[in-house]
Amino acid sequence: MEPMEIDSEKTLQRKQATYTSLDDIFEIQKETYRGQQYSQIYFARLHLMRTLLYSLVPNRKPHLPVCTILQLEEGKECIIVGTLYKHMKLKPCVLDEYSKERSATPLVRPHNFMHTDDNLVLEDDSGRVKLAGSVLLPSAYVTGIVVALHGKETDAGDFLVQDVLEAGLPPQIELPLKSSEDKYVVFVSGLSVGSSTSNPLQFQLLVDHITGHLGDEKEQGIAAKIVHFVVAGDSIEIPRGLLNGQNLASKDQSRLSEPIKELDILLTQIAASLPLDIMPGPNDPANFSLPQQPLHRCLFPGSSAYNTFRSCTNPHCFELENIRFLGTSGQNVNDLEKYSEAKDKIEFMERTLRWRHLAPTAPNTLGCYPFTDRDPFFIETCPHVYFVGNQNEYKTDLIKGSEGQFVRLICIPQFCTTGVAVVLNLRNLECHTLSFGTEFIS
Amino acid sequence: MSKNGNTRKRPPPPPQPSPAQTPKHHAASQEDDFLDEDVFLDETLLLEDEEILRDSEGRQALAARLSKWSRPPLSDAYVSQSRSILFQQLEIDYVIGESHKELLPNSAGPAAIIRIFGVTREGHSVCCHVHGFEPYFYISCLPGMGPDDISRFHQILEARMKEVNRNGKVPKYIRRIELVEKKSIMYYQQQTSQPFLKIVVALPTMVTSCRGILDRGIQIDGFGTKSFITYESNVLFALRFMIDRNIVGGNWIEVPAGKYKKTAKNLSYCQLEFDCLYSELISHTPEGEFSKMAPFRVLSFDIECAGRKGHFPEPTHDPVIQVANLVTLQGENQPFIRNVMTLNSCSSIVGVDVMPFDTERKVLLAWRDFIREVDPDIIIGYNICKFDLPYLIERAETLGIAEFPILGRIRNSRVRIKDTTFSSRQMGTRESKEVTVEGRVQFDLLQAVQRDYKLSSYSLNSVSAHFLSKQKEDVHHSIISDLQNGNAETRRRLAVYCLKDAYLPQRLLDKLMFIYNYVEMARVTGVPISFLLSRGQSIKVLSQLLRKAKQKGLVIPNVKHAGSEQGTYEGATVLEARAGFYEKPIATLDFASLYPSIMMAYNLCYCTLVTPEDVRKLNLPPECVNKTPSGETFIKSNLQKGILPEILEELITARKRAKADLKEAKDPLEKAVLDGRQLALKISANSVYGFTGATVGQLPCLEISSSVTSYGRQMIEHTKKLVEDKFTMLGGYEHNAEVIYGDTDSVMVQFGVDTVEAAMNLGREAAEYISGTFIKPIKLEFEKVYYPYLLISKKRYAGLLWTNPDKFDKMDTKGIETVRRDNCLLVKNLVNECLHKILIDQDIPGAVQYVKNTIADLLMNRMDLSLLVITKGLTKTGDDYEVKAAHVELAERMRKRDAATAPNVGDRVPYVIIKAAKGAKAYEKSEDPIYVLENNIPIDPHYYLENQISKPLLRIFEPILKNASRELLHGSHTRSISISTPSNSGIMKFAKKQLSCIGCKALISNNDRILCSHCKGREAELYCKTVAHVSELEMLFGRLWTQCQECQGSLHQDVLCTSRDCPIFYRRKKAQKDMAEAKLQLERWNF
Repeated sequence: MEPMEIDSEKTLQRKQATYTSLDDIFEIQKETYRGQQYSQIYFARLHLMRTLLYSLVPNRKPHLPVCTILQLEEGKECIIVGTLYKHMKLKPCVLDEYSKERSATPLVRPHNFMHTDDNLVLEDDSGRVKLAGSVLLPSAYVTGIVVALHGKETDAGDFLVQDVLEAGLPPQIELPLKSSEDKYVVFVSGLSVGSSTSNPLQFQLLVDHITGHLGDEKEQGIAAKIVHFVVAGDSIEIPRGLLNGQNLASKDQSRLSEPIKELDILLTQIAASLPLDIMPGPNDPANFSLPQQPLHRCLFPGSSAYNTFRSCTNPHCFELENIRFLGTSGQNVNDLEKYSEAKDKIEFMERTLRWRHLAPTAPNTLGCYPFTDRDPFFIETCPHVYFVGNQNEYKTDLIKGSEGQFVRLICIPQFCTTGVAVVLNLRNLECHTLSFGTEFIS
Repeated sequence: MSKNGNTRKRPPPPPQPSPAQTPKHHAASQEDDFLDEDVFLDETLLLEDEEILRDSEGRQALAARLSKWSRPPLSDAYVSQSRSILFQQLEIDYVIGESHKELLPNSAGPAAIIRIFGVTREGHSVCCHVHGFEPYFYISCLPGMGPDDISRFHQILEARMKEVNRNGKVPKYIRRIELVEKKSIMYYQQQTSQPFLKIVVALPTMVTSCRGILDRGIQIDGFGTKSFITYESNVLFALRFMIDRNIVGGNWIEVPAGKYKKTAKNLSYCQLEFDCLYSELISHTPEGEFSKMAPFRVLSFDIECAGRKGHFPEPTHDPVIQVANLVTLQGENQPFIRNVMTLNSCSSIVGVDVMPFDTERKVLLAWRDFIREVDPDIIIGYNICKFDLPYLIERAETLGIAEFPILGRIRNSRVRIKDTTFSSRQMGTRESKEVTVEGRVQFDLLQAVQRDYKLSSYSLNSVSAHFLSKQKEDVHHSIISDLQNGNAETRRRLAVYCLKDAYLPQRLLDKLMFIYNYVEMARVTGVPISFLLSRGQSIKVLSQLLRKAKQKGLVIPNVKHAGSEQGTYEGATVLEARAGFYEKPIATLDFASLYPSIMMAYNLCYCTLVTPEDVRKLNLPPECVNKTPSGETFIKSNLQKGILPEILEELITARKRAKADLKEAKDPLEKAVLDGRQLALKISANSVYGFTGATVGQLPCLEISSSVTSYGRQMIEHTKKLVEDKFTMLGGYEHNAEVIYGDTDSVMVQFGVDTVEAAMNLGREAAEYISGTFIKPIKLEFEKVYYPYLLISKKRYAGLLWTNPDKFDKMDTKGIETVRRDNCLLVKNLVNECLHKILIDQDIPGAVQYVKNTIADLLMNRMDLSLLVITKGLTKTGDDYEVKAAHVELAERMRKRDAATAPNVGDRVPYVIIKAAKGAKAYEKSEDPIYVLENNIPIDPHYYLENQISKPLLRIFEPILKNASRELLHGSHTRSISISTPSNSGIMKFAKKQLSCIGCKALISNNDRILCSHCKGREAELYCKTVAHVSELEMLFGRLWTQCQECQGSLHQDVLCTSRDCPIFYRRKKAQKDMAEAKLQLERWNF
């Protein structure tokens, strides 16, 4: 491609930003499958959270004793800490696939598995107790969250919940002094190169825009302020039918590798002009369980030659100009939506922060690696920017914590269906979108 | 925990036969042999003082804990005996005691005292001693016997009885002999009655010995030596009492105030204990208010034992470590007591009363005290009769706790164990232990489920998976000891498990409505509830027959073979099946309860059968008799109505009424009762025919049963003829109808029409038309249409069942391998899927393709191992089997590897068939699936192809496909075969491992890492393949292991379950292993 003619003599210099990757906690290297089970990650989670919640009790409920579930006594008010478990009638069960006779009518997979009969149970390492009362609504909670509950045991052996103590937003590192300079980060998700809905021109327009090949000087000036580009999952869609372990005919080989090549070409154009982070998503050629490991370099022979190209984990955590970013390709929030309800996706995001856990439904309904001694999804430090990819629509909000924390929440829409990328200004954490259309509007 | 099921529970090996042991307790209560067994009251009495001493061993704390569960206190009206006592009886037995001096001032010496146990509406326990009822039977009076002859006969018989019963303390064996007018039930007789002698004896067992004397023949002056046929000498004493007093099982009994006397010295632990005369009892028919259930207490319990490694727990060695109990009031949803008694400390469990004890003795005694205090009316559990109860008792014996087995309601009376064999035509011979807990009904869910449902496995796991759709965690018995020897936490784990085992039987009881169904069955048939589980079908019919006969003044002979000695008779007919795949609707015409209606229509009964001799002699007018197709003659109902038809009529009308009431009923408990009743009525009506045909039964009469089947055959043929004659094109119909198949009571017709609706209309028309040609109440009904219909051979078919023209109801299959347990799951899945594709999707090419793919997967070693597991029960050790069997050999091999986890007798052995050296015997090719997984041992796909899937597949496809065998089993898809390399075989130890290219399997040097130079360009594609495999496995891994956490009911504890019945057990194990391997493959890319 020929370089475009530059209108003015002045060369625009792209701005730079300092970048630190904090992905190491999401990396699985030495860890292997040696027969370990999921109990250990729950245990690690409970342990981490319990220490934290215990430290909050003296401030919030100073008069109440703290018990384990074993120590509960009927009628005695106390605080118990444990992992929630939600009994769900409609939750799909893997056993059914094996044992049930095949029914004549195909199973319809509902979008949401909630039912009015759902109920919550609290479990710690000593036991389980059924939760009663209207304070804790089963619809807002899911399996895997660690909470502290204030209440008492009833004569039926249930625990009547009177109040819920959530961990709240984690402590935040103070935001660096506001600079006067605008610096932009662009987020995109769900490029789905190779799928029937993806439009190559749309993506090319985006690439041309951020690399400064489009628009007038003013626009190029803005493009020059883009310091970082993040692809939050689902960049490629490859025909799954071809991956059944059989040897492929050469025609199918190329059907498989074509979209990967196409993506590589476009990413090369970006990597050539600015730093780029690519995260794996649920449909990418990556592993399934969270944390998803970086997409392999051999998929990107062109772009991986640049040192600006970074293949990252999902979830992904990094610092840009000392501003902390945390994000996922959407699995955590999409799974919450199946098993609980909220007014919108932003609310789900906010909840995960307050629960201090990025993916509470892992491993229960969300695939996850069986960690033995840690829970990498525990949110120790509050990010300044928290994003999730692969959402239906763009949504953003700024939330504030009780200790002065504030977090920019961003739902990144799927690019292939909406043509929308999200731009964040590092100066004031303001957000706006970039829309790309390829149809003429008459 | 069945004999063929669970790993943990199995009856201890039968005791060594020692002739010195009380032979009396070895009563073989076969179905065809009803014997009374006299239990003497004083025989089992212990010194009460001894017990009081033991009680004061400082268990007050426990006593206080238990006392809050005791029954509600008696009201003043009860205490002052000013009100009548109304109770629902659950158990009736008798003991021999001194006859009551006040109630029966005229008699002395030992007498049988009937005991009725029950519960009042307020929940008080009742023990009612009934006095004055005497055992008796009949013989026919010799012609010409006068009162003097009778009294002489009395003396002779008394003398003979003295000879036989030498050691008796009875002053008089034959109480009296009465002359009565009765009639034998056998054969049609014109005279109304004949003289019979009613012989009243002192004790129930004397009925049998007296019968023996009369059977063998007795010398009577003036008459010579005569042998007598006895009548009704085979009726158990308790049942005799019930019949004579019109009491049916589980009904309400009332004793008016003033008619009962509180016992002077309480013999039982019941709140209300009293004596009364048998004539004072009022028995209420179970209708209206009296159809309800009293609030009886149901105890569900389970024990855990710490076995030694490699052995199944034996009471002589292994301690009882936990007992979990749940007590529920009948009609309530939730148990009101949940507790667990443990040996050594145990952490508490929410909502459960945990009672730790430091010695096993204390655990056992606490349980005894608990039983006594809570006083359950019904004891339930899973396999309690064969395992838990005998184990507890034998264990207490080993520990020398003499006072433990006082579990019944009678003070100081020890529980007795006896070995029984129970055989019936329906279920074959079963050996079991009978533990008599006086006054409490035992209801073993295992027995009940085995009796009422046909399942492929009866372990508690699979039974609860089947009925409650709940998988149960199964802890292997080798782990139980480890958990017990751990700390309070691990014992808590065990306690939770034990509680669940106690909870599931209760859930099953509720879900399957056993209480309602069994109580109703007892009420309908009139036998005590305890008979229903421990005895066969025939006593139920006999009970009804006796009741009816009593009303009519008929007596029933005790003969083993009534009627002619004819071994077998011709059974039901099956019309030739025209095998094929029918793509037009097939209408099914069914006879509604065919056999009962035949018996009613043709008045078939014992008392309407005319002997061939009488046919000649009596000269009956032809319009008064029916000659059956099998050649017998029966009187028509206008001359004399049969008893069996009358019983059947009553049953059927009662069922109609119950069904009508069921529709009206609103209260769910009332509905349950009515539904149980209509079911019991239906089963009872159908078992009458079987009773007459049971050649080893109480009163077989093959003339009746063969007549029934001969009429049945005639009707099927008749129906076929009528259908094919009437529904023809000549008769104005669009097509010629064709009967394609007919079984016992149904006929399948292809009317030739294309729509379900048209077939339904013709079906209805045919049913009505043909019904008109039969004698009432025989009725042909049209109920369903099959479309499409795959008829394989007789008794084997599959089809979509339609009862309304808009939507099919379900897929109905018969005789096709879907439940047989010695098939692997692959067969079941394959057959199901094929039928689904053929019948529902109507996609035959799709079904063929599916079979081909599956076979290719099998040959290419891509099959999930859990689908290939075959399971067989190990019933005895290897040496005892005469022929070498695969699972027995495997059990031996596994024992050599590790005795602790090897299957024991009674366990089920899962295995897969592996590739072995050429010429290896089939039984040498079995292997433990886990071992196969761990060592990559290749399975033998040809075994599965030829011995497992080929037959059922060909059966389905042969009617559909030409050359099915060649097409399916020998096509091109069978050419490519892949076999995994075992990791532990000898040769592999010498093999050098070398990397091969992931793309083309060419050998590569270590520098190349993954791909050869030719495949370098395909990196992305090949990587995608590897990672997709990993991704799939990860998804599976997550879903499987979280499911196990769910079943286990805990997130923070490791899954221990080793339930091999679980459909995902091997899958889970394999996922773990595959995951590790796939991960390694993926790591090769990290260079």
